[in-house]
This record gives sequence, C-alpha cells and structure tokens, in this order.
Amino acid sequence: MHAALFALSWCFSDAEPGPVAGSQSNGDRFKIEGRAIVPGVKTQDWISTARILVEGEEYVGFLKTDGSFAVNDVPSGSYVVEIVSPSFRFDPVRVDITSKGKMRARLVNYIKTSEVIRQPYPLQIRSSGPHTYFMKRETWGWTDFLMNPMVMMMVLPLLIIVLLPKVVNTNDPEMRKEMEQSMNMLNPNPELPDVSEFMTKLFSKGSSKSSGGNKGSRSVAPKRR
Amino acid sequence: MAWLVVRLAISVSLLYAASAVFEDQVGKFDWRQQFIGKVRFALFDTHSQASKKLLVATDKNVFASLNSRTGDLFWRHVDKTGPEGHIDALLMYGQDAVVVVGNGRLLRSWETTVGGLKWETVLDTGSFQAAALVGVQDLVKYVAVLKKSAISLHDLSSGSQIWVENLPDSDSVQYQTIYSGGNGVVFVLGVVPNSHIVIVEYKIEDGEIMNKKSVEAVWMSSLESSCAVVSSGILLCVDQITQSLYTLPLQSAEQTEMRQIHLQMLDLEVVSGFRPVLTSTQPNPAQPPLSEFFLQLSPDHHILLQFIDGLIAPLRDFNPSYLAAFATSGERTVAAVMSPKNDTACSINLFSADTGRRHLDTTIIYHMDPNGGKPNRLYVHAFLKKDDSVGYRVMVQTEDLTLTFLQQPGRVVWMREEALADVVTMEMVDLPFTGTQAELEGEFGKKAAIQDGLLPMVLKRLSSQFILLQAWLAHLWKLFYDARKPHSSVKNDVTIDILSRDEFNLQKMMLMVTASGKLFGIDSKSGTILWKQYLENIQPNSVFKLIVQRTTAHFPHPPQCTLLIKNKDTGLGSLYVFNPIFGKKSQISVPALPRPVIQTLLLPVIDQDYAKVLLLIDDQYKVTAFPSTKNVLQQLQDTASSIFFYLVDSSQGKLSGFRLRKDLSTELIWEVVIPTEVQEIVAVKGKRANEHVHSQGRVMGDRSVLYKYLNPNLLAVITESTDTHQERSFVGIFLIDGVTGRIVHEAVQRKARGPVHFVHSENWVVYVYWNSKFRRNEFSVLELFEGAELYNSTVFSSLDRPYAPQVLQQSYIFPAPINTLEATLTEKGITSRHLLVGLPSGNILSLPKMFLDPRRPELVSEQSREENLIPYAPEMPIREEWFINYNQTVSRVRGIYTAPSGLESTCLVVAYGLDIYQTRVFPSKQFDVLKDDYDYILISSVLFGLFFATMISKRLAEVKLLNRAWR
Repeated sequence: MHAALFALSWCFSDAEPGPVAGSQSNGDRFKIEGRAIVPGVKTQDWISTARILVEGEEYVGFLKTDGSFAVNDVPSGSYVVEIVSPSFRFDPVRVDITSKGKMRARLVNYIKTSEVIRQPYPLQIRSSGPHTYFMKRETWGWTDFLMNPMVMMMVLPLLIIVLLPKVVNTNDPEMRKEMEQSMNMLNPNPELPDVSEFMTKLFSKGSSKSSGGNKGSRSVAPKRR
Repeated sequence: MAWLVVRLAISVSLLYAASAVFEDQVGKFDWRQQFIGKVRFALFDTHSQASKKLLVATDKNVFASLNSRTGDLFWRHVDKTGPEGHIDALLMYGQDAVVVVGNGRLLRSWETTVGGLKWETVLDTGSFQAAALVGVQDLVKYVAVLKKSAISLHDLSSGSQIWVENLPDSDSVQYQTIYSGGNGVVFVLGVVPNSHIVIVEYKIEDGEIMNKKSVEAVWMSSLESSCAVVSSGILLCVDQITQSLYTLPLQSAEQTEMRQIHLQMLDLEVVSGFRPVLTSTQPNPAQPPLSEFFLQLSPDHHILLQFIDGLIAPLRDFNPSYLAAFATSGERTVAAVMSPKNDTACSINLFSADTGRRHLDTTIIYHMDPNGGKPNRLYVHAFLKKDDSVGYRVMVQTEDLTLTFLQQPGRVVWMREEALADVVTMEMVDLPFTGTQAELEGEFGKKAAIQDGLLPMVLKRLSSQFILLQAWLAHLWKLFYDARKPHSSVKNDVTIDILSRDEFNLQKMMLMVTASGKLFGIDSKSGTILWKQYLENIQPNSVFKLIVQRTTAHFPHPPQCTLLIKNKDTGLGSLYVFNPIFGKKSQISVPALPRPVIQTLLLPVIDQDYAKVLLLIDDQYKVTAFPSTKNVLQQLQDTASSIFFYLVDSSQGKLSGFRLRKDLSTELIWEVVIPTEVQEIVAVKGKRANEHVHSQGRVMGDRSVLYKYLNPNLLAVITESTDTHQERSFVGIFLIDGVTGRIVHEAVQRKARGPVHFVHSENWVVYVYWNSKFRRNEFSVLELFEGAELYNSTVFSSLDRPYAPQVLQQSYIFPAPINTLEATLTEKGITSRHLLVGLPSGNILSLPKMFLDPRRPELVSEQSREENLIPYAPEMPIREEWFINYNQTVSRVRGIYTAPSGLESTCLVVAYGLDIYQTRVFPSKQFDVLKDDYDYILISSVLFGLFFATMISKRLAEVKLLNRAWR
C-alpha cells in the first residue's frame, strides 16, 4: 500500500464562526448600574483604561469620572458583569434581569449555577488589589544556601570530623583504649582484613618506596649546610 | 509514600511556574503596538494653545485621544463592534467631547483630559441623521440630535433631555441636517427628493415650532454634502445638472423660492459625473458661520468663494488641488489647501479665509509614499504664534490608512499605520543570512565542490574563515563603540540591510496582510515596519490567503510569498507574488484565474528553483499549478495518485474529497453530507503542516506505552444546530479522514451553542463552546490513541487503517469568555504544549495542555501519580501569572499566530486584533539556554575560590611536609 500524501489546505467556503446574534426578542431594554471602587487610588488614574464587559463583549460600558457606571440597552436575562482593567483586579458579578426589569446581583458560581449568594444592587464592585502578573525571581541568600538539605548533609559530617577529635582528648590512653574497643565492637570480625586497609597497603607499596627515597635525599640536603 | 508526595509537589510547582513572566523581562523580547483604525472624525483641542490633544473617532468604534506631538495614545475607549458601537458623530466644546453612538442610540459626553465618561443618555429609537451643538448668546449650552422622525435637545453639562419633538410629515420628508446660528432657534432641514425642501424652525427654550416652510427645489435629491449654511443663515446648495448654485435665507418668511446663480457667471463648471461638494465653517457654534466657503468642482479642483450681500464672489481658485480644509485659531480662520507639486510630493499652503491671500512661509511639503495610497483627508490644527501670526500643523490621512502628522517645512512629526488595526492574516518568515554567512553557504554549494579541485577548496575555506574573522572583529568593534555611547542613542533604526538571522533564529520577518489591502513587513524583535506595500483596487470584502512558497533557506534564490486575493462575492481571485524580506513584487509571471477559486493547496513538491507548488482549484474542479514549469508538471504526474484534497460547501452541508488525475483533472472519491436542516458546518480545520510530533506515544504508569493516533490527514469539522432554542441547540464535531472520507469519530454536545473556537493538533482536538443550560463556557478535549500497539510504525497511510482509534474525551468549565484559541508550536515538538487563549479583557492566557488531558483521573492512584496526571477538577484555573502579556492587553484579539524558533524551548507568539502584541513563550521553561537570572557571579566566585583554595592548600601542604622533614 502506498502512503497517501495529503496536503492540508484552506478553504474559502468555510464560514467564519461569527458572533451570534444576542437578542432575539425586541422586548424592553434595561440598564445595569453600579460603582467600581479601587481603595486608595484616584479614579482618574485608572478609569480611562477600564471597561465594563457584560457577557464577554456583548454589551460594553464605560466608567464615569466618579467611578460609577451604567450599561444601557441590555435585554432581560442573566449576565456576568465584569470590570476589566489592566492594572486592577475586580471580581465578576452575575446580574439577573427579569422580563419586568427586576434586578438581582449574585456571586458568580460556574459549578453550582443556580446557587444564589446575594450581592448588593446597584453593584458595588471593590477591587481586590493590583494584578499580580509577575513571578518572583528566586533570590540567592546565605540563609537559603545554608538551609539547603544537601549543604546541611555535607556540613554536619564535616563538623563532626573536625570538632569531635578536639572535644575528645585523644592523648588520654584510657580514652584511646576505649575508642579502640568500640571500634572493634563495630568491626564484627577482627580477623578479617579490612578492605580499605588492604587497598591502601597495596597502592602505597610502590609509592612509599619512592617517597622514602625522596625523604632520604631531602634529609641529606640540609645536612650539607 | 513521602517521596512520592515530594515529587508531586515538585512537579506541581514546576507546572505552575511554567510560562510566567518575570518583572525584569518586561519589554525585553515583547512589544505591543496600539491602533485605532480608519479615522472618521478628528478634532484638535483648540481650547488652550498648549493643548496636545487630538480627539479621534474611527470606523473601528474607537474613541481616542492622541498626543499630537508624538502620535501616542493618551487614552482609548474601545466600544462594541458592529453597528451598536458605531460612532455617528463627534462634537467638541471646551473640555468635553460629545459622541453619538449606535445609530443615535446613545449620547455620551467625555471628559477629555482624564478620559472618563461625564454622562450617558439613552435616546429614543430612530435612525440618526445629524447632531449639532446649539449656543445661546455666545454660550454653547445644548446639543441637538436629529433623528429620522424626531429632534431632541439635551443639556450639555448633564445630558438631561430638555425637550423632544416629533418632526412634521416625517414619513414623506427626509430630514437630514440641523443648523443653529446662536439666535435662539434651531433649523431642521429636510428634503422631499426632486420636489421641495422643508425648513422647520424650533424655539430652543421649549421646542415650539416657530415657523415651517417648504421651498421648491425640483433638482434636489439630497441635502448632504451638496448644501451648506453660510454667512448669517443662508442655505447654499449646488447642483451639477443645472450647473448652478442656489441660495435661500433660512429666516426670511417672504422668500419662497431659491435664488439661482449659474456657475457660468462665475466662470466655473462642474466636471460631469462629479458630485460637487460645498464646505463651510462655523468656528463657534453660538455664532453664525463664516461667509467664505469651499466649492469642490472636480476631484482636484477647489475654489474659495465668498457670499456677501446676496452675491457670490470667487476669492481664490485652487487648480489643481486635492484637499482643502478650514481651521480656526482664536478669531482667525484660515484655509489649508493641498496641491500637487510633482509626482511624489504635494505642497500644503495656508490662506487667510476672509481674503484668500496666501500666508507667507507656510508651505509644508508632503512626500507621498510611492508604495502607499493617495491622500484623502486633511485635518488642520491652526495656532497663533507669539508674533500673532498663524502657524499650523496638518494631519493627512491616505487611502491606505496612514496618518501623517506634519509641521513646517515638511517635517514628519509622527506617522501611524492604521491599516494594522485590521490584520487579516499573517506569516513569519526566517530572515536571510548575512553576506558572510551566505559566502560560507556558497562554498559548500553542490556545484562548487564538483568544479574545484582540492587546493582551491582549501584556499576558499581559508578565505571564508578569514572573512568570518573579519566580520567578528567588526562586530566586536561595534559592540565596543556602542558601549561608549549613551544608552539612548544606541537604539538606532533597524533597516532591512543590517537584518540577518540571529543565532537561535528568534528574530523573524512578520508578514501582515490587512483588510485595506496593505502589506507590511515587520521586524519581530523590535516591531519596526521594514517595508509596506499598498495594493490598489482591493475590494473591501476581499478574502486573503498568504502562502510561503520558498523560504530563505534556498540561497541564492530569493524567498517567495504568494498572496491570493479573492473577491468574496464573485469568487474571482488574483495572485500577488512578492519577496517577503524586501517587499518587492516578483517578476514571475502569474497564472490568470478566469474562474472562481474554491480551494488552494500547497504541495510539498518543489520545482527546480525550490519553490513549493501551489495548486488552485476552480469551481469546475480544474486544477491550475503555480509555478507550472515542465519539471513541476512531470512531478505532479508522478505523484498525482497520492494527492488528495477536500472541498467544503457549507450551504449544502457537503464535504467532498477529490483525487488528482495525471492530466490535472480531478475525480470525486468521497462525499459526506451533513443535513443542513438540522445542522450546518461552521468550521473545518486540519493540522498545521509545519507541526512536529516528537513522541509517538505516552508512557503510562505501568511502563507500557499508549500510542497516539497521528493521522496527518485528519480533519476536524464543527457543526452547529440550526435550531437555536437553548434546550434543543447543540454543537457537533466530526473527525473525518480527508483522504478516505471515513468518519473517525463523532461527538455531540447537547444544550450548547457557538461560537466554537477550536485547535486541532497532534492527536487531539480542543474546542470551546457555550453551554446554554448552565450559561458558561466549556472546554472539551478529544484525544485519539491507537492503543498499546502501533499498526504500522514506519509509514502512515489513510488507506490502510483497519482499526479505529480509541477516543478519550473530557470537558471542563472555563470561567471566562473567549475570543480566540491557538496552541504553541516548537521546532521539534519536544516541549510540552500550551494553549493560548485570547480573552475579551485583552489578556492572553497560556494554559498548559496538561490541564486538558482526558486521562485526568477522578480518583488519584499510584499510576496516575507516576504519570504526573493532575486529578480531575471541573473548573479550569485562570492564574494571573499565566497572562503572557501582563498589562499589555490586546484589544479585540482576533487571532494568535505561533511560530517555532530555532530554540526548542521557545515559541514566538503574535496576537493581533485592534492591537498587535509580539512575545516569546517558554512552555517548559528555558531548558536549552541559560536562564536570564543565571548567577554568573556566584558560579565564577565559587570556581575562583576553589582554585585559590587548592593553590593555597597545596602550598600549605608543601610547607607542612617540609617542616615534618626537618623534625
């Protein structure tokens, strides 16, 4: 069977997924009102970049200079009202409008869509602070370095090796004997030659000779002086 | 167990960190450009002399304030698309701008310094005709809005409606304009075509009709542009058939006939077929307009006339002249006229309006772009200089939507390419090598190797190495030179000549095709426009398809792109072939396309010049090849039996597959009919041709492999139900093999409707739809697997697939509306994929594909943990760290283009809509290059420290040995 070669292509006749006509009924149009508050920031500093989006971009509203807003010409239905601003974060609110024009605002819950937790209407949307778009860089500090488990694992044995002999007086013959005993205790079979010992002997044979020679020549040299 | 938890924690933290922006990366490799669209109204703020504000309202339903010194945006308000956000009129008084929106539905007043809304009122329904500011006793207090059947007056400071009156006989009379001279009355002018003019006079205080009269005007069809009010309320009209001007005082009760003045008497004549235009100016809405006005007699002939005591006298004849406009500063009104100077330049001169005398030293030379269009709008900003003479600046808008702001003596202050507000399609092309790189390429060319012997080759090698060394030294010198200069001056202009491919191929040429028919070549690193080309005579409803036929990889052949332009109504197309790097039109002969093109196909077959072959299929299923050399036709004959293509006819719900015959005719192989009574095809998508899939399967928790179903011929077809009732509507998806027509899979989402956005890639399809029952957006992912064994692991053939793939599907709630959807793309497909979601808020969300995995388990098991599967959660998270464009929002994002770079970790992303945003994303972090925050100092200090420590300890050891020897 030969391989089928099929070049993917683009077709003119396929319809673009255009926006779906929102309102079928020519019924009454209502107005969604509210106010947006950013604590501690003057309205003129952020309102020019903010917009009110109702159900995506289906209805758009703008903020007044005092932070209040009104989205006109909205037919009855249930909408998610969101204030979008590149600098501040606002939580969306769901607004239900009955066919008679009664308004209700509630928390947006996409999972339990029928759950009603009332919010004030006219909307009072308070910003929960600036957006946190950025990740924090990991900064390097001595404490981080020292607290690293790998470093701890390296440093602690080192400390033990260096400090223990100082603490314990090795010159004391009793002590030495005791230590040797304990070492023997650790070594289960004293007759069995220790592998490391064996290896060091094996490798140090040749080198010890030459080093001995070195030592000899060195010890000779000062004598001439 | 504890170990597992730790591992999970690590993997999860990695995942959350992926593809986020660090604060120090801002502007490092990303840029945004904001646009407004085609300017319909532009007003300079003449309130104060120092004001830099320029208010514009555009056809993209954008109302913005520009800084007239730099061309930057002070603020911009983007309204709804479509007629409901359409800006009908823009009026300005003092600090306030009044805008009529949505065919007279809303009246808004904006505070122009802050960019906030002052008030907004809803007007009664009715199609909008005109709006005007109304003044009383030198103070502008009201705004009047004329609808088809009513007129309303609103208070300018609060927006409250003062009165609204129905217009008399509005079903027979077309009321079109409104005029107020500041004397307590508002005139509404209407016309009954080819019969008479109706003038209704309203009292400002209460809307009482003071006077109503009709004047015979058999010759008149419309008031707009052919009529104007001049002097103290004189209606002036021009008619090209009778070649006359007509005058009528609006206020006088006795005159019931328009006075005719033959143009002949003024030694003037309207060019046949041209509709003459009258332009008057009313500097202050509370005062009557000036008695001077422009009459345009032909496309390049204007004349300045004056109306005094019932007589019309010519002040100055401008022949030839393209554009003319009035401007007022303080008490003085001037007229600026643009006239041609030579083939490439125009001169703009200033004339005083009341005498027609030319102001000395006021010439501005406007150089026309040879690749651009003709100027078609002139906006003048006049101001008083210190010596009380009038100075001016002009903004010129051309056919190709370039805004140029000029000042004397012709210095371009700024320029905006507003065609880019409507990008239709784009491609990214690799930049070419530099001369030295090309030299190296040439050395190892095929021909060279055969001709030359061994010694010449060695010499060539040495010389090219020398050239490389030279180039490197020059580069070093430049670096050194730049480092000494202050930082700001280093940012020099990018030109085509110095552009070359960088080490990792991160910098590319962006080709953008705009709806107005202007092509742009943009440097992806800086956003600089390197070339632009305006294609004239493009129909406004054209469809474009951009095809890269030859990339830059085939030196010395220049790269080649082909743009197919198709008229949506007739279906007739034409080809435009150009070099994507320099924007020059290619000299290649293009096949004529006498019949409508219905499908195009870019084949991997290349001709002897390395250009890929483009097949164009017309409505009789005839195939045209481009290029169509002998070589190509021969190759096509050889491979014809394995070339298949598909056609979609959404009006009949028909998908059909064709095969190419040796004689370039076609035969129908399969046909799938989706009944149009029930559902209609909304979109069809295949996979991207330049997509690579690195791994054939997925390793499962038990170390077995689940192989992916990687059918390159698979088409995803999305359908929507014709019944839009929310209980019965549905969205369907069909996966169809494009060669055999076999329906591989089919799924239906009940109680759902569009718009559907989807991505089809690798072995998965992700689509988003609106769940009309729960009123939320939902993501659904389909993944296709072959199972534990591959049927034929070497070659994929659609014709030999006995087993149906296993299909897994899962759906999730997406807690936001969606504008567009795209997937990242990398060079080899090793990097994990992310979905890029364009949101209406303007943010672009980078969503890891990991969250859209139909194998996400509901219950966590050992194996799923091993596989790093995230437990299923119905709601998809949206994190602000995942917004790749942080606060650089892209308004009305319509498309996202992704392209691989030379680095496997990096994907280039361009989001376009009203704005253009370019950035790089790293879906699996930057695993192949050192991180930005790589701590060079720490590493080098540790290395040096260790080095010195060894040196010192060596010395110490030696000393110790010596001492011991002495002992």
